[in-house]
Amino acid sequence: MGVLKRSRHALAGLALAAAALAPAQAADLVVIVSARSPVTMLRADQVAAIFLGQSARFPDGQEAVPVDQRIGSPLRDEFYARVASKTPALLKAWWSKMVFTGRGQPPAEAPDSAAVRRRVADNPDTVGYIERAALDASVRPVLVVQ
Amino acid sequence: MPPNPFQPSARPYKPRAAVWRFENRHMQHARRGRSLAVSLLALGLTLGAGARAQDSTGPAPTWSLSGFGTLGAVHSSEPNADYTASVLKSSGAGATRRWSMDVDSRLGMQLDLAFDKRWSAVLQVVSEQDLNNSYRPRVEWANVKYQATPELALRVGRIALPMFLSAEYRKVGYVYPWVRPPVEGYGALPFTSSDGVDANYRWSLGPVRNTTQVFYGHADEPLIAPMRAYGRRVTGLANIADWGALSVRASVIGVEATTTLGQALFDALRAAGPAGTALAQAYAIDHKHLHVASIGVNYDPGRWFLMAEASRTHSDSLLGATRSAYVSAGWRHGDFTPYATWSRVAAAGPTSTPGLPLAGLPPALARQAAVLNAGLNALLATIPQQDSASVGLRWDLHADMALKLQYDRVRPHGGSRGTLINQTPGFESGGTAHVASVALDFVY
Repeated sequence: MGVLKRSRHALAGLALAAAALAPAQAADLVVIVSARSPVTMLRADQVAAIFLGQSARFPDGQEAVPVDQRIGSPLRDEFYARVASKTPALLKAWWSKMVFTGRGQPPAEAPDSAAVRRRVADNPDTVGYIERAALDASVRPVLVVQ
Repeated sequence: MPPNPFQPSARPYKPRAAVWRFENRHMQHARRGRSLAVSLLALGLTLGAGARAQDSTGPAPTWSLSGFGTLGAVHSSEPNADYTASVLKSSGAGATRRWSMDVDSRLGMQLDLAFDKRWSAVLQVVSEQDLNNSYRPRVEWANVKYQATPELALRVGRIALPMFLSAEYRKVGYVYPWVRPPVEGYGALPFTSSDGVDANYRWSLGPVRNTTQVFYGHADEPLIAPMRAYGRRVTGLANIADWGALSVRASVIGVEATTTLGQALFDALRAAGPAGTALAQAYAIDHKHLHVASIGVNYDPGRWFLMAEASRTHSDSLLGATRSAYVSAGWRHGDFTPYATWSRVAAAGPTSTPGLPLAGLPPALARQAAVLNAGLNALLATIPQQDSASVGLRWDLHADMALKLQYDRVRPHGGSRGTLINQTPGFESGGTAHVASVALDFVY
């Protein structure tokens, strides 16, 4: 349960502005890898397996390191509800099971989409998820979470 | 004993076996050991409040401290025996006292160390009522892990036995929907962990993700002091297959068990000639092989869940052979999860023996032989036979906390006391115990 320093970026502000323009719509979520990663597409079950500690590799065999949004963020709750059908309580139960049987620790967390994007952009083995509005050229969307 | 609001919590889950039940029934020990548990709880809450530090990408060793617990109270209507969650407990609700906080209350703490990307270590200590009515903390997990590849992990040290769907985390009440895993199924082995080595390998077969685990070790379980149970050559193979919302777990475990429990009886039988020696050989737990096989299925698409599990145990000893099974289902409605469970365990072999032949013995000897026969049959009658039906409600009242209410209708039958302990002479098999439980589970 890593803790990154909370930092605000201009792009986070942009994302907020975008969200403000369409207040009635839930933000589209995109799963991202670094623009330098060879991965181009992931299925929802593959993403779920990586984020739930069931798989440590991308389908092409490269090692995969997930980075999470901070606990309690609406983006995070929506992501797990959609890719893994897990509520925050079920997710907590899942990781309690993994941790207390020595099978793994939950992904590191980043404070917001800008921080997730930066971390993913800098690390070709890392995979994260952000609002679609927070996309830029440093990362590549590999799945739109519906 | 007055209820103690600071009593630590826990989810009792140690296997039950006939001998332990027998000794348990015959030995009521002084109540002690509460203060340690209270200090442990205080320590846990203090540390748990802020202590957590981990960044797996950092170069230096990183650590994280976490914990879990249950604060539970149980009421049983059966006045002639105690309902409890594990036979490795000294008392429960019913005969000893109507309300008991010892059945489920427990506190666990875990320290995780990550030295680098490949090496890590875990130490987990749990405090709960044991056979000596002490809350002395016990090491559940203590091992060093080497992640050879993302798929292959090797561990050395103390590792919980991976029996059944929930055995590895049965002490972490927050993880499962019930107040406690079905008592009929989870009591097959007198050992909950083994000291040794294991390997976990993750692999995929099409869309099915598997984890296969093999382990080898030995076990040394403290019983009522100074007695212990020893397990040599604890060998096991387990596989979990996940396919979307479906999870299937199969495992087989073998162990060579030895204990001095019941030794006085078996010594007396051996002194009674060839027939007695043969009985002692047949029933004493002295380098006896014990096998447990189980298969469990969990289907959990999120809105509801269905779990079912079946297991069989076999031992050529007074532990006997049993079959157990349960089915449980529930659905999640916001923060509330109502559920229902049906569970049973039955003997798959004889639960009594004619014992020493009495015909032709002089009256004095015949009386002694009859006493030995009664003692042996008392042991065999502890092979559990029981049905229970349960309904309950889990309320996730906080991200780290769940409150559960559960009602169990427990019916030991076939001359057995089922999973009950501490029965009085007035106990009759075939009756029904109504058990009400409330538990607050938390993780931190």
